[in-house]
Amino acid sequence: MASRRLFLAGMAGVLAAPSIARASGSMTAAIYPGTWDEAYRAIVAPLLRQNHNVNVAFEPLFAVDQVAKVRAARGVAPFDCFVLDPGPAAAARQAGLFEQIDPKLITNAGNLPAGMLTADSATVNVQVVGICYNPKKFPEPPKSWADLFRSPYVERLGLTGFQTTFGTVSLIEMAKVFGGSTTNVEPIFAKLKEVLPKVAAVSTPAALPGLFQQGQIDIMYTNTNNAATLKGRGVDIAFVAPTEGAITFATTLHIVKGAENKANAHRYIDAALSADAQSKLQLSPFNMIPVNKDVQLAPNLDIKSLDELSKMVTHDWNVINPRRAGWIDRFNREITK
Amino acid sequence: MRAAAVDWRLAAPLGIVYLALFAAPLLLLLGISLHADQDLQQWGLDNWTKFWGDAFYRGVVWDTLRLGVAAVLVTSLFAWPLALFFCNASPRTQKVLIFIILLPLLTSVVIRTFAWIVILAREGLVNQVALALGLSATPLRLLQTETGLVLALMQIEMPLMLLPLISVMRGLDPNLLDASRALGAGMWRSFFRVILPLSLPGWIAGATLVFASACTAFISQSVIGGARLVYLPSLIWQQAMVVYDWPFAAVCSVTLLLTVLAGIMMLNWLGRYARTD
Repeated sequence: MASRRLFLAGMAGVLAAPSIARASGSMTAAIYPGTWDEAYRAIVAPLLRQNHNVNVAFEPLFAVDQVAKVRAARGVAPFDCFVLDPGPAAAARQAGLFEQIDPKLITNAGNLPAGMLTADSATVNVQVVGICYNPKKFPEPPKSWADLFRSPYVERLGLTGFQTTFGTVSLIEMAKVFGGSTTNVEPIFAKLKEVLPKVAAVSTPAALPGLFQQGQIDIMYTNTNNAATLKGRGVDIAFVAPTEGAITFATTLHIVKGAENKANAHRYIDAALSADAQSKLQLSPFNMIPVNKDVQLAPNLDIKSLDELSKMVTHDWNVINPRRAGWIDRFNREITK
Repeated sequence: MRAAAVDWRLAAPLGIVYLALFAAPLLLLLGISLHADQDLQQWGLDNWTKFWGDAFYRGVVWDTLRLGVAAVLVTSLFAWPLALFFCNASPRTQKVLIFIILLPLLTSVVIRTFAWIVILAREGLVNQVALALGLSATPLRLLQTETGLVLALMQIEMPLMLLPLISVMRGLDPNLLDASRALGAGMWRSFFRVILPLSLPGWIAGATLVFASACTAFISQSVIGGARLVYLPSLIWQQAMVVYDWPFAAVCSVTLLLTVLAGIMMLNWLGRYARTD
């Protein structure tokens, strides 16, 4: 009997749980799986609970999955906050999935460089993309995007396509080196076709770090976060900005259209932007480049000051998004064996 | 006759769950695939003609099915001898064997797949052994090849083939094999004329499971196969999640479902010839 009663009590608890999560003093935020999930659980969630007595539940989803989920929900917000890269953010904005952000509710707004807090987005972290290589195998690192396609580097290169933000912008920059532009990636396709028999791997983006760790590849293009994370695990990896300039893009938080907990979502964004959170998020193993001007940059980040960002290459995703499906399709066709 | 006498209501709870949670979404999927535009406003067969009118996509379907067949063949090649050995082993050895056979099922498919990267990589186990023994002067390319993928799938799917095969072969009368040998048949002849036909029902069950799960093994296909081998599951993910072309992703999904189903039906049809009574 006792066990049955216990079971019923347990079932009641399970059934009641969703309503607790939706009660006042709580909210749900989508978060990238992996490092972001760990980092925000460890640093932003306690801060939010401590300062506002708000409990945040995290839902680990990649950017594209978040947008797909909100679109599929058709008006019923499945969570309160997005975390997105510029490509999915532009697509979500076009589909009208964002709520306005009230700058009066963001106490840290004044500590952000210009343009980082807009009507519907708050930049919480910037990513820097360049070339990663194994310094033990290559004492002389590749210097430019073009070097990746020359011997001895090309034989150890791990390629990835247009599925991710960092993959897309890297390939665009390579196209530029060979005479292309954001709207004309023809030259990089020609180059890819030429080097395909030589490259060490053509991989899905998620498998790249594993391939690097196992020595299947020794060169890849990726962001400094990935490089720092692998370095933290004892992998021989170094980051180098190509001579054409490293690429930068923002990771942004947004409030989902029709979100249930708008006030708490503002508090969550504010907590993530605070100097307290940002100074901890930049440390190993999270390695996220901060945006709050009050934060002193840590030495593990591969950049010295936020001013460097203004010299880096940026991209207009409203130009990229309409073309991306075609590029992905073409990449499929031309690299398939 | 007895089957008909069992109350149909026994199957009703699961039947209703399947109807609501499986059949209904499937119909939705079919409905989405019949739209011409990404906003699902216009009906039309455009995406179906785009898919089947394009040699590239037909090639993807073909490669996916071929992968399933290859996985079944290679798994069978290793499963039959192992099943034979199992049936002739002492009960003690059988216990150890069943543990080893079940072992892959106890870890997640993601971990099993990543373990194969460690084994097949350029500096992985296989290459280290091959280089140390002088079997090869340069590291072999195993990751991101179809061979490597089939090899990994063979290990990952092996329990699905072995378990039905063993359960059928354990029920075989050992006297049949003795009789075959006594009547002058050699080992191979006994296997092909006695054991193989009698164990066919178990093989068909195993082959169905291996075929279906190899064709749809999204993680193994994308991690071990890499981006140069395009199969239907990764195409579906790409179209649905990155490109947001849901009607086209739905066409890919329905195609995967129907083609794998066709393969399974062919195996079932084969089962008619496996009647032993």
